[in-house]
Amino acid sequence: MKAWLRGFWAVFEKDIKLELRARYAINMLLLFALGALVVMAFAVGPTPLSARVQAALLWTVLLFAAAVGLGRAFISEEERGTMLLLQLNLRPGAVYAGKLLVNFALLLALNLVAVGAFAVLLRVQVAWPGLLALTLVLGSIGLAGATTLLSALIARAAGGRGALLPVLLFPVLVPLLLSAVEATRSALLVAEGWAAATDELLTLVGFGGAVITAAVLLFDYIWLD
Amino acid sequence: MAETADIVNLRRYRLIRNAVFVWLTLVVLGAFLLRIPRIHILEHTARNLYFHVPMWFTLMAAALVSAYHSLRYLQSGDPVRDLRAREAARVGIVFGLLGLATGIVWSRFTWYLGTSLWWNFDPKQSFVLIQLLIYGAYFVLRSAVEDPEKRGRVAAVYNLFAFVTMPFLLYVLPRQMESLHPGAEGNPAFSDITHPIMRLVFYPAVIGFIGLFWVLYTQRVRLALLERRLEMRKATMLEAKS
Repeated sequence: MKAWLRGFWAVFEKDIKLELRARYAINMLLLFALGALVVMAFAVGPTPLSARVQAALLWTVLLFAAAVGLGRAFISEEERGTMLLLQLNLRPGAVYAGKLLVNFALLLALNLVAVGAFAVLLRVQVAWPGLLALTLVLGSIGLAGATTLLSALIARAAGGRGALLPVLLFPVLVPLLLSAVEATRSALLVAEGWAAATDELLTLVGFGGAVITAAVLLFDYIWLD
Repeated sequence: MAETADIVNLRRYRLIRNAVFVWLTLVVLGAFLLRIPRIHILEHTARNLYFHVPMWFTLMAAALVSAYHSLRYLQSGDPVRDLRAREAARVGIVFGLLGLATGIVWSRFTWYLGTSLWWNFDPKQSFVLIQLLIYGAYFVLRSAVEDPEKRGRVAAVYNLFAFVTMPFLLYVLPRQMESLHPGAEGNPAFSDITHPIMRLVFYPAVIGFIGLFWVLYTQRVRLALLERRLEMRKATMLEAKS
C-alpha cells in the first residue's frame, strides 16, 4: 500500500513538474477553451440566451477542450520512450491514479478560466455559485476518469491517433453531459438552486465512481502486455 | 462446415435455425392477418408493435452477449471470444438501426402527423442512438489497430467501459425527456393498453427475433472463424515454401 501511494505520488509529481516546465498541455487546454468560447460568443452575438442554452454551451466547450487537451497524458510517455520504465516500476493502478489526478488538476484550472470567461462573454448571472462549483468539480471527476482510461487505450494501441479520442469519448459521456447541464442550469436560475439539483449531483457522483472503478479494473489489461 | 465443428453442434444449429424460420413466418403471418382492436390514432399502425419493439429487445440481448464475450476475452485471451463480441455488436447494429427506423416512421405518421417533426427526444430513441454511436466508435477503434491480439484487448476494454455507463443513461434520459412509450410517467402501462390478442403475437415475435439474432450471429461467428483459419493456413503455407 505504501509503495502504491509512493508510486502514485511520484507519477503525479513528475507530470506536474514537466507540465510546469513546458506548460504545453495547460496552455493548449486554456486557449482552446477560450477560443471556442469566443467563437460561440461571437456567433451568438448580444442575443440573450436561456439558462439551459448557456449551460449547454459551457459544457460543450468543456467537453471538447477535454477531448482535445487531455489526450496527451500517455502519448507523451510513448514519445519520450518512458512507457517501459513505468510499466516495470509501478503497479498499473498507481499509474492510472497518478495520471487521473494530473488530468483532474488540469480540468480544475480549465474550469476556473473557462467559467470566468463564459460569465463575462455570454453575460451569465450565477445565482448559486456553490452549486455551480460543486457541479464543475463532480463533472470533472467523471470527465477525468473517462479521458484518462481512453487516452491510455489510444496511446497503447492506436499509436496515438489523436482524433480518435473524441469519437470514443462523447458517446460514453452523454449521461455526464446531461446531468451536468441540468445541474448547471439550476445553478444559474434563482428559482431553482440546490433542492432542484440534488438528483443530478448524485448522478454525477455515481457516474464518476462507476467510471473510475471500471477504469481501474480495465486499466490492467491495456497497460500490461 | 465441418471445419468449425469444434465450436458448433451442427445438428442442433440446423434444428434451431429451421425452427426460427418457421416460427418467424408464423409470427409475420399473424402480425398482418390477425384482427386487432381499433385503437384511436394508431389504427392499423399498431401492428408495428410486433416488429418495432422486438428490435429493442434484440439490441439489448446483442449488447449483453457482446459485453459478456468481451469480458471472457479479457480473462482468457481466446481469439474466438473476440470474434463473438465483434459479431454480436455487428448484428446488434443492424437490429438497432431497424428499431430506430421503425420507431421514427411510426411516430412521424401517428402522433406527429401534421407536424414536420421526424426526431423526438424520447428516452428510448435517444438511448438507441447513443448505443449505435458507441458501437460505431467500437468499430472505428478496431480498424485503428493492426495487431490482432492488441486489437482484441483494446476493443474489449472499450466495449466493457461503455457497457458500464449504460445504466446511467437509462436512468438519466427519462428524467430529461418525455416519452411516447407505455409505462413512462403519465403513460399507461404496456399491459393495460395491449389487447390479449396482440400479446398473443407480440411475445412470440420477441422470441422469434431474438432467435433470428442468434442464427445470424452464430453464422457470422463461424464465417469469421473460417476466414481466420484460412489466413493462418495461408501464412503457414507461405512459410513452408520459403
